Amino acid sequence: MTGRRGLALAELLVGMALGLAVLAGLTAAVGVAGRMLVAASVRAESEDTAQLAMEALLLDVRRAGYDPTAGGVAALVEAHDDGLALAADLDGNGSVAVDSDESIAWRCALASRRLSRLVGRQSLPLAEGVVGCAFRYLDGDALPLAAPVAPLDLPRVRALELTLRLLPSGLSHPSSRTLRAALRAAP
Amino acid sequence: MAALATLAFSAALAAALADLARIELRLTSQRRQATRLLAALDGCLADAVADLPAGWEFTPLLHGPDAIPGTADDGALPAPAGCAARARAAPGATVPARAVVRVDARIGAGRRTLDAVVRRTAEAGAGALLWLSEAPEGGAITGAAMLDGGDAAAPAASLAAPADPEALDAWVVGEGPALAIAPSTAPPLSAPVPPLAELGIRVLAAPHAGPAALMPGGATLIHVAGDLSVDDARRGAGLLFVDGALEVRGLLEFAGVIVATGGVRVPAGGSLAVDGALWLGAASPALRIEGGLAVRRAADAVAAADALLPLPRRATVASARDVG
Repeated sequence: MTGRRGLALAELLVGMALGLAVLAGLTAAVGVAGRMLVAASVRAESEDTAQLAMEALLLDVRRAGYDPTAGGVAALVEAHDDGLALAADLDGNGSVAVDSDESIAWRCALASRRLSRLVGRQSLPLAEGVVGCAFRYLDGDALPLAAPVAPLDLPRVRALELTLRLLPSGLSHPSSRTLRAALRAAP
Repeated sequence: MAALATLAFSAALAAALADLARIELRLTSQRRQATRLLAALDGCLADAVADLPAGWEFTPLLHGPDAIPGTADDGALPAPAGCAARARAAPGATVPARAVVRVDARIGAGRRTLDAVVRRTAEAGAGALLWLSEAPEGGAITGAAMLDGGDAAAPAASLAAPADPEALDAWVVGEGPALAIAPSTAPPLSAPVPPLAELGIRVLAAPHAGPAALMPGGATLIHVAGDLSVDDARRGAGLLFVDGALEVRGLLEFAGVIVATGGVRVPAGGSLAVDGALWLGAASPALRIEGGLAVRRAADAVAAADALLPLPRRATVASARDVG
């Protein structure tokens, strides 16, 4: 009786081809998963950055105009469509120090795709990849005021709105947030 | 071997994705907690300030219930469950009257603190046409009453009293067609008791006239000790303080603020018209209208009365800062 042992060449080739096909599929899947992970990380960071910017603005607006000595601190000092300046007498000494966190400014620079928060004289970049950034100002009836708001009209501003769109490289759709916050300081 | 490496890499990727998701969930949870704390803080501040007595300065509040400065109850404020509030003197000059209220809110293990500068409202009174010391009784109006909040941009409320706005709404509805309210009038609001006793002391301490001054002319400060009955036609302006009940059997037209610690009664055939506000003390009944009553918002007339003698005001938040 003649017995056959081992694999024929054809069987070996077919087996190897199948193995390679499975491996190629797995490799592709891993590649896709890797790209998804990177994209998810970038998306998460972008969403976090946008959310943090909104929260920082909310806290700045909440304290704007804090004036325990009734010295006449104006909450909103400048109001442009690409930025604003807020003031507060946080230490209650009757004045607003321009080189401290009593003076806060926000600046959108679309050319450099950056949103910055200026604390006193120190500029802190809040977000990169900014593709949309606009401030709006609303009066007591929630009607928009034309920006820049004239100095005489600044006391009419009762609320402000920031719309922010971030599009970091690697993402096809931007992260968008809009915050509307009322100024707490009574006129 | 390659397949094993691929599997290991896939597992590492899955773990990284799970970690990312876990981080995002934790961030979301923290943000939700921070938002809830901010909302609780704002709610606590609003409640604490709404309950502050109406008045002039904040000295009674700063000295506490025992009225002695430097004691443990200085600045103690009632606050809703889950938060605490305490007032202290504001830095700087004593005028304009103000205080700093520190509010501390807790939810679970989270905590936030806020300092608010509290001052008196710019407008005298409670921002209402009728300011009552207690919720009015049902069926108080069997004649015809009209309340007109006036200015659509800044309307006055129909009435203010230390009761839930829902209860005041129910009273307005319950009075039926006997009580007409102009469309521009703001709905009833909850307010502290008008400080009529202290206002009476201040009226007596200032140069004032008697009821004979109820005649056409400029704004006058008028004090009436005891009840006042108007049986003929009278007209006046300024502040009319009746330390008793005001009964109008004839006609009374007044521009400014009428205060009646013993309430107002207008029998059938009588008519009371006020351009300004009507403030009433606790009485039974505080309001009985069988004739006619009309109260219209008149900010100028109230301001003229306020110029004669500073009137009490509610407390309001002027500004605030988050402490941490």
